[in-house]
Amino acid sequence: MEEKKIKVECFRYCPETDDAPYYVTYEIPLAGRMSVLDCLNYIRENLDPGLTYFINCRKGFCARCALEVDGKKVLGCTCEVKGDIKVKPIREDKVIKDLWCKNI
Amino acid sequence: MPRAEEYVDRVVETDLLVVGSEGAGAQVAIEAANRGVRPLVITKGAIGRTGASQCAGADFNVDGISAKELGFSGDDRDSQERFFSDIIHEGLFLNNQKMVEKYVEYAPKSTKNLLDWGMRVYYYASVHSEEIARGLTSSGKRWVNALRKKFKSMKLPIIEDTMVVDLLVSSGRIAGAVALDFRSGEIILIKAKAVVLATGGFQMAYPFNSATYDLTGDGQAMAARIGVPLIGMEMVQFIPTTILWPPMERGSIITYIFTELDTRVRLLNSLGQRFMSRYDPKMLEKSTKEIVSIASELEVMAGRGTPHGGVYFSMKYLGEEELERMKNGIIGLTKSLGETRYEFKTLLPRLIEFMKKEDIEVSNACHFMVGGIKVNELTETEIPGLYAAGECSGGLWGANRVAAACTQVGVQGLIAGKISPEFIKRVDQEEITPGDVKKIVERIEGPFKREKGMKVEELRRYIHDISGKRLGVIRDGKGIKEAIDMLKEAVEEVPKLYVSDKRSRKLNREWIGCLEMENMLTCLYATAIASSVRKEGRGAFYRSDFVLTNHDNFLKNTIVRVKQGKFEVGFEPIVTTTLPLPKGKMTFEEAVGVATASLVREDANKGV
Repeated sequence: MEEKKIKVECFRYCPETDDAPYYVTYEIPLAGRMSVLDCLNYIRENLDPGLTYFINCRKGFCARCALEVDGKKVLGCTCEVKGDIKVKPIREDKVIKDLWCKNI
Repeated sequence: MPRAEEYVDRVVETDLLVVGSEGAGAQVAIEAANRGVRPLVITKGAIGRTGASQCAGADFNVDGISAKELGFSGDDRDSQERFFSDIIHEGLFLNNQKMVEKYVEYAPKSTKNLLDWGMRVYYYASVHSEEIARGLTSSGKRWVNALRKKFKSMKLPIIEDTMVVDLLVSSGRIAGAVALDFRSGEIILIKAKAVVLATGGFQMAYPFNSATYDLTGDGQAMAARIGVPLIGMEMVQFIPTTILWPPMERGSIITYIFTELDTRVRLLNSLGQRFMSRYDPKMLEKSTKEIVSIASELEVMAGRGTPHGGVYFSMKYLGEEELERMKNGIIGLTKSLGETRYEFKTLLPRLIEFMKKEDIEVSNACHFMVGGIKVNELTETEIPGLYAAGECSGGLWGANRVAAACTQVGVQGLIAGKISPEFIKRVDQEEITPGDVKKIVERIEGPFKREKGMKVEELRRYIHDISGKRLGVIRDGKGIKEAIDMLKEAVEEVPKLYVSDKRSRKLNREWIGCLEMENMLTCLYATAIASSVRKEGRGAFYRSDFVLTNHDNFLKNTIVRVKQGKFEVGFEPIVTTTLPLPKGKMTFEEAVGVATASLVREDANKGV
């Protein structure tokens, strides 16, 4: 079976080094049913170790992986990915780094 | 020489530093504050939203008589003596009996605290098929929310998203600790008269686990680095039928929980055979956790595993109509119980829908650390002023845990919160040695300052290969030896670890990963060398080259110590009180029979 590839467009911003936020698009394999967090993990583990986001319980308990995916507010761990996605922090004005915000 | 304060970004002072904020840590802080000392909690996450407690089932133990006193139905046949004896049989006699006595004694007190603080209970029942019902079933979320509410109402100080990296000892006593604040990237010096470690397990050192990302053995490794022994580190508990594939559900034990609720699940190998019939023809899938784990592993080793290296969890034979009924039943039940957890409310019905057409790949996940920091029944370690409570400690469960981990953390949290203030009131703050702080700060900053070397992700894959293949459910001498050699090589790579993303010290997961890696390696190495000397099978520990449970030679605890950077492994006698230790040898299956004598086990072939 041919592996399906998807594009993940990711918000990046480090207030200390960047003048403004920007987006990076990563192409990743969609292998089996994957969550948004699975996609971000794939990117961090294989493509870009610096990508910053919150991950802890993976099962909807801690509710700290809140993100905006394609304009909707979701938990990264319980939101299934079916095709290309655009991932933004839950509050752009509260970003400490990339997708991780203050007070989440 | 500069002062210790000059090496760090911030300094805080407290009477009692509590490392960890959940089931154990929050309980320590609340109890210590009630006894007039000022605690400071430092947690790697946010209170109520970190570690294992939030994900717990969650069951709490009290003996049948105390249960009645707490207002539940209870069981008149029970006694604290019987409960004590059951736990030690389940642990196949390796338990520290003084610790088990305290567990049984404090279980009602610690449970009453939680009820008083508003933790609601679903029902009182026998949770792990014990003949005597001793379980109050609540949920991890209800538990940690009750603790958090109590903690907040007392306005206790807490520093969140911060990792305590190392402990400071002066004149043989605890003097404080050094921590890294993730959000600011600052290094903090904490001056403290006493420290309680409540950091949980090191499941993340295993490639397939049921745990949260923060469980990297920080407490065990910190304690080991200052010479505190670790006990029973070979005892790693795996939980069978955990979801292996697809990735989104990976690590969820909802399938295992389901097998406790509905016994119609069949486990199949890649040939479609109901393989348990070869390992336990009478009990089949309802055999013990250990036997199901070993059987599934043997199927995979024999080339009869699923594409991702597990076995199939199957209910297709029940037919779509029955599964639809089952799904609706679960949806109705979760509604009536007011259940809000994702795994129960959303995931389980979805899986059942999925299972109408397909089977799910499941496997044995690293679930619970039976061993840990050596403590006595008062949670004291060998270093004055250092205590350990909860899963990071060892000795209570012996070779296996059946009773409630949630109660362990509450009981030990309560004891540590009671004992440490007595010590704190007797002592002054120890002087901190600046050279010690300097060394720790250099170790923390090393990976961030290095320009090249090895990425932590590379080392993570390497150690996961070691733990997954050689320190798993079935071990043998050859694999353990390979693991030891490979882990030695991995340890040599640690000084080469570097952070590639140097945009900022804030929330630098690569950097945090380097510090966690060192801790996981310490724990895994201890697991490997402790496994090498236990030449038998017992409880959670199974070796294919020494399958007998050998009471004559191995009724003793493994002890791992780090001395001047070198690991040493040996044995210490078991602490006993009233239960005599058995003699002779048993087959592993016979031993499992002893360990499960307190459980009700029906014949699986009946009515199927």
